[in-house]
Amino acid sequence: MKKQWLRQIASAGMTLAMSLSMVASTMTAYADEPYDVYNYNYLGEAVPSQAGYLAERAVSGLDLGTTALNAPSDLFKDASDNFYIVDTGNNRILKVDSEFSQVLDEFSEFTMPDGSKTTLNKPKGVFVSPDTGLMYIADNENSRALVVDSMKNVQLEITKPTSTVYDQELTFLPQKILCDNAGNVYIVLNNTTKGAAMFDRNGEFLGYYGANSVAQTAEVIANHFWNAIASEEERRYRARSTPSAFDNFDLDTRKGFIYTSTSSGSSDNDIIKKVNPEGHNLFSHMSNFVWGDEFSTWYSGTNYKTKIVDIDIGDDGTINCLDATTGRVFQYDEEASLLFIMGATGDQVGSFTAGSVTAVETKGANCENIYVLDSIKGAVTIFSQTVFGEIVHEATALYNGGYYEEALKPWLEVLKRDGNYRSAYLGISSAYYNMGRYEESMEYAKKADSSRRYNKAFESYRSEFLKENLTAILIVIVALIVVWKGFKYYRKKRRKALETASPTSAPTDES
Amino acid sequence: MMDFTQPQWVKHVLFHPFEGFEDLRWKKGGTLKYTAIIIVALFFALIAYDRWCGFQFRPLPDALFSVMPYIMQSVVYFGAWVLGNWAICTLLDGEGSMKNIAIYSSYALIPFIVSRFVDVILSHFLVQEEGIFFTVVYYVGLLWTVALLFSAIKAVHQYTFTKTVIAIILTLAAMLVILFLAVLLLSLFQKVYVFAYSIYTEILYRVRV
Repeated sequence: MKKQWLRQIASAGMTLAMSLSMVASTMTAYADEPYDVYNYNYLGEAVPSQAGYLAERAVSGLDLGTTALNAPSDLFKDASDNFYIVDTGNNRILKVDSEFSQVLDEFSEFTMPDGSKTTLNKPKGVFVSPDTGLMYIADNENSRALVVDSMKNVQLEITKPTSTVYDQELTFLPQKILCDNAGNVYIVLNNTTKGAAMFDRNGEFLGYYGANSVAQTAEVIANHFWNAIASEEERRYRARSTPSAFDNFDLDTRKGFIYTSTSSGSSDNDIIKKVNPEGHNLFSHMSNFVWGDEFSTWYSGTNYKTKIVDIDIGDDGTINCLDATTGRVFQYDEEASLLFIMGATGDQVGSFTAGSVTAVETKGANCENIYVLDSIKGAVTIFSQTVFGEIVHEATALYNGGYYEEALKPWLEVLKRDGNYRSAYLGISSAYYNMGRYEESMEYAKKADSSRRYNKAFESYRSEFLKENLTAILIVIVALIVVWKGFKYYRKKRRKALETASPTSAPTDES
Repeated sequence: MMDFTQPQWVKHVLFHPFEGFEDLRWKKGGTLKYTAIIIVALFFALIAYDRWCGFQFRPLPDALFSVMPYIMQSVVYFGAWVLGNWAICTLLDGEGSMKNIAIYSSYALIPFIVSRFVDVILSHFLVQEEGIFFTVVYYVGLLWTVALLFSAIKAVHQYTFTKTVIAIILTLAAMLVILFLAVLLLSLFQKVYVFAYSIYTEILYRVRV
């Protein structure tokens, strides 16, 4: 009787504990991520890694207190950390506060300079200038771009250029838009491979900017050869080597570089470009660099290949690339070394509908948050930095700034948490090198498999060793020579003695 | 005249690339015991070069190490060379026996082996910018071995210069054929093994049921 009573209490306690733990698990912000976190080692193999970011929550239009988002296509964060969601299907742009808790403003109707009203038609991109606060809208199906002030007055309307440089047979359908520090406006169009259309602050067409290049493959070179000897008529029907067009870009507001991303599956070069104001690609030396996943996957006849649809430059210079195929965000530091990979395809928070992610944004001086926009779910997923992510960012920032010794402590902490993290070995090696601890530097360079860095540390180690032990080395060398000479002299003498003892006997050797 | 011990023969052959092997032939010097030692040394030289070099000169990441390629590059290639050369030169009126081909060829490999070991030692004292010394040692060893190998084949078969060149080219072709057949044979045996094993498991199932 007593036993049964005990058992009842026990089972009641169990249920209570279970329900409590369930409540707790729904309440914790950091649930387990719905994917395996990985990173790449020096051999290009995927290895398990610590998460740098965890998906915190997903925010839909209803969560923001407005109607559901319909095929949103762009997300932008302005200088005062307010977010703009381009709600393409609903022909509006939402201004949201930095915590994604409420809608601050809704842009759908504007006043033209002549006083008439105008509305948006499938807007695709938005940009807010950090200097002037003007809002640039790529108003796709109206074939125009609008420059709007905060009072919703249109300051400038950019339409199809009449210049002869712009092929008049082409349509003018702005996809993405941005404005550089000098006030020039760049518009990505979806029908040209010449680059982004560039306009000055008065809306005058200046030309094209930052086109992708054609990879010099054997096929391209052969094509070039045949075209050179073909007649005009033949040439018209021959395949042409045109570069794939980039379809998204972002402005690095700190340094003025424009980063472009290309989602074309047929091209492997110029996936990410870092373009300076002159239009030159500063990443052109990295033609063998693989952005996104190292390998594509073949599965039942389809090639699942990284397809970078958006790029965002964080306030700390990190390059965040969004892969539509796998729903992953690849975060690189400003030197293009991979920091973290997050996201997946699926239905849980932190995973996305395959092929439907359209935009990525970051917030914070150390990239504390990453935001991913899923156009089919109509929601923004917020990722927050973990402690590990924080330490890595701290270390990378110090390291890239040249503060190698200061970066030592965070790098050691990184290794404590993830022994596979290669940059940490490189960072520690550099730190020890700067501190003059060459042997340790060599050891860590070896672990990072960097023969270049090992070589540098070894060179200093060797010269220091020589400086300290020069006398000892010289003494050893002299001693060796003396011993050698003495030995030869002894042998010669002994042979002579043998010969004089028995002049006829040759040295007895076995045959 | 030339009553050398075996180590003295090795030394004589190494430093007299034109006459060394002729002398070795007329005096019937050389022993298979040394051939075995040299091939084992070759095996270790190849491994040492990839594994024991100073890290600044190490061409191969540790994680990619496998012993099979080294067995291939030492024992199997040498075996194929001897077999191929013997097969070709028997048809081309060569005078060398298989034993002599093995002995002479293996003696010719010594500079290559030594240069590898010298490189391993050097690599611990040089930095990448001084890598030219490292490379020079490598190529001196290689060229020396090629020259000796040529001289060895010429002497062992008593060929003229042109005939030696032709014989060596044909030997390389024969090596390819031998290796190809070896791979074929291996895969065939593997299939036979799988076949036998599946019959064995089949019988086991029947017996149990």
